Parts: sequence; C-alpha cells; structure tokens
Amino acid sequence: MKAEVHIIKERCKGCGICIEICQASVLEISEELNTNGYHPPVAKNPEACINCGMCEMFCPDFAIWVTVVKEANVNV
Amino acid sequence: MLENVEKSHPADCFLYTDSVPSVWCPGCGIGTVINTFIQAVEKSSFSSDKVCVVSGIGCTGKVAEYLKFNSFNRIDGNLIEYAAKLKLQNSDRKLVVFSNNADFLVSGAKDLVETGKKGIELLIIHVNNIIYTITEYKAIPTTPFMRASADKNLELPFNIPHLAKECGATYVARWTPLRAGWLMYSMIDTLSKRGFSVIEVISPCLMYYPDSKRIGDAAELMKFYDDNSVIKHDEPTEDLDIRVHDKIILGKFVDKK
Repeated sequence: MKAEVHIIKERCKGCGICIEICQASVLEISEELNTNGYHPPVAKNPEACINCGMCEMFCPDFAIWVTVVKEANVNV
Repeated sequence: MLENVEKSHPADCFLYTDSVPSVWCPGCGIGTVINTFIQAVEKSSFSSDKVCVVSGIGCTGKVAEYLKFNSFNRIDGNLIEYAAKLKLQNSDRKLVVFSNNADFLVSGAKDLVETGKKGIELLIIHVNNIIYTITEYKAIPTTPFMRASADKNLELPFNIPHLAKECGATYVARWTPLRAGWLMYSMIDTLSKRGFSVIEVISPCLMYYPDSKRIGDAAELMKFYDDNSVIKHDEPTEDLDIRVHDKIILGKFVDKK
C-alpha cells in the first residue's frame, strides 16, 4: 500500500501541528511563501508515509490530506 | 502508473470553501474541533441535512460561518435557549451548539440550567479558551487562580463538568484538541444519544493566555497542554477543577443510559 500526501499551500497558516504530530516524520517546513506569507509544509520523504491520517485529522484549516494510491498495472 | 484519485479535501463538501482559511490564529484549537466534528458526522449514521449547528459570539461564534450544515448564528446568551426551541419544533434534527465561556457561563447560565433540567436533547460542544479573547487579557469564570495578566484572577475557577452534571447532563466529557481521536469518538457517542450532553474542549487562547505573545510556537504550546493532562475516566466531577500546578484531568465522566 502506498500513500500520497496532498497539501493545498494557499490554505496553510504555518502552525506546524502536522509536522509535530507526524510519527513517520514525512513533513517539514518549506522555504517558499504562500500569498498570506506563511511557510507551508512539504513532504520531504513521501515514501515513509503510512497513511495514518493524523495530519488530516488535526489540521485546523483543511489544508492537508492523505489518500491511498492505487497502482494501475497490477497482475493478479 | 500511479493515479491520483481525489482532487479536493474530503471535508470540502461540508465547508464554505471560499472562507477557508479561517480567521482564527494559526494553530487555534477551534479549527481542529470543527475538523473533528465533520469527521464524526461522516462516521456516524446521521445525514448532514439532519444536523443543525448553532453558534454565538466571539471566536467560537464564527463556527457557523464555515459549516455547510443548517447553521444559525445567535446573539450573546440566547444560544442554548434558541437551540432548545429549535429542537422542540424539529424533533427529527440533531441540534449541536458550539459555545464559548460567554455564551455558556456568563450570560447563558440561566438557559443552561433550565434546558438541562428539562432534559432537552442537545449536544453542547463547549470550547473553553480560559480567557476573554477578543477583549484581551480579561479574567473570566474559568480562568485559573492568579492567572490572566491584565487583572490577576482572585477567584477559583468554575468546574464545568460538575456544573453540567448538576444541571442534569446525561453525558459529560472533557478533552483537549490534540486528543482529537478521543474527542471524535465522544462526538460519535453523543450524536446518537437522546439527552442533554456536554463536551468540554480545553483549548487555551494561543495569543493572550500565555504571558508572552508567541504566535509562531502554536504546535509547541498545544503540545504543552497535551503533556500536562492525564486521562482518568469516571473521575468524580467534584475533583475536576483546573489548577495551575496540577495536571488537567481529561476523560468521560458521566454516561447515563
């Protein structure tokens, strides 16, 4: 199972709760700024994500969520 | 080879997305409470048009502006009474009240006692932010002893779970925003409960309650309240005062059938 982290950068207010709460240390603060002047998070090692959904549950501004990625070519 | 299934946030269908990001300070617990509430409604058997949300004034009063349920915004102190009247007219709907200290304790205390004694089916999610936030630094009935920097509070704080229990609540719980999993299951429990239920969420104001104004350290501050709390279910509600040097007691205290 592979998981993918989605971030809407314009919604982020840079509180850092997702970085604090992530057990697999997938996220870190990025260098870039959004239009409100905050540093949104970025997935530095997305392979480590275990799809626990904690960042999605805790984000106060609905800026981050996780989906399970289905692999297209699977031979059963 | 890999394909992206969803293009928007799963909670977007319950939100007025034009007004996101919200007006609250970065990391404010009210946002987490809303996020948790949306997930609780998704996971419970309620359809979203059967849920009515009522909110009042102050920071917590903004909740009704973001949620795409049947949302009502009321004046100060009239909140619980209004929700009770709505419930009496629409018995098939679930009324959820997002209140803060001003609505719940200061000017709405009479309604709280009346509605609780009558046992009207309401879910009150009380966001306790320890201080008057918009009129900065003022002490309120739930401010701990000798705290709030403008006028040092010389009175002992109100014990909200005990008050709710004495008013006849059938479900009383208390959580912090960083215990969102517990909070979500409390909300799922109470959404299907027929009775007056109160969930207190201790989410201290990140701007004005600490002595220095540190807006960047939101995660660190929230984690401080998480580390200084302990879960004790079924604790007697007399012992649940918020004291500065003791740990805050969280848990589910009353659950009547």
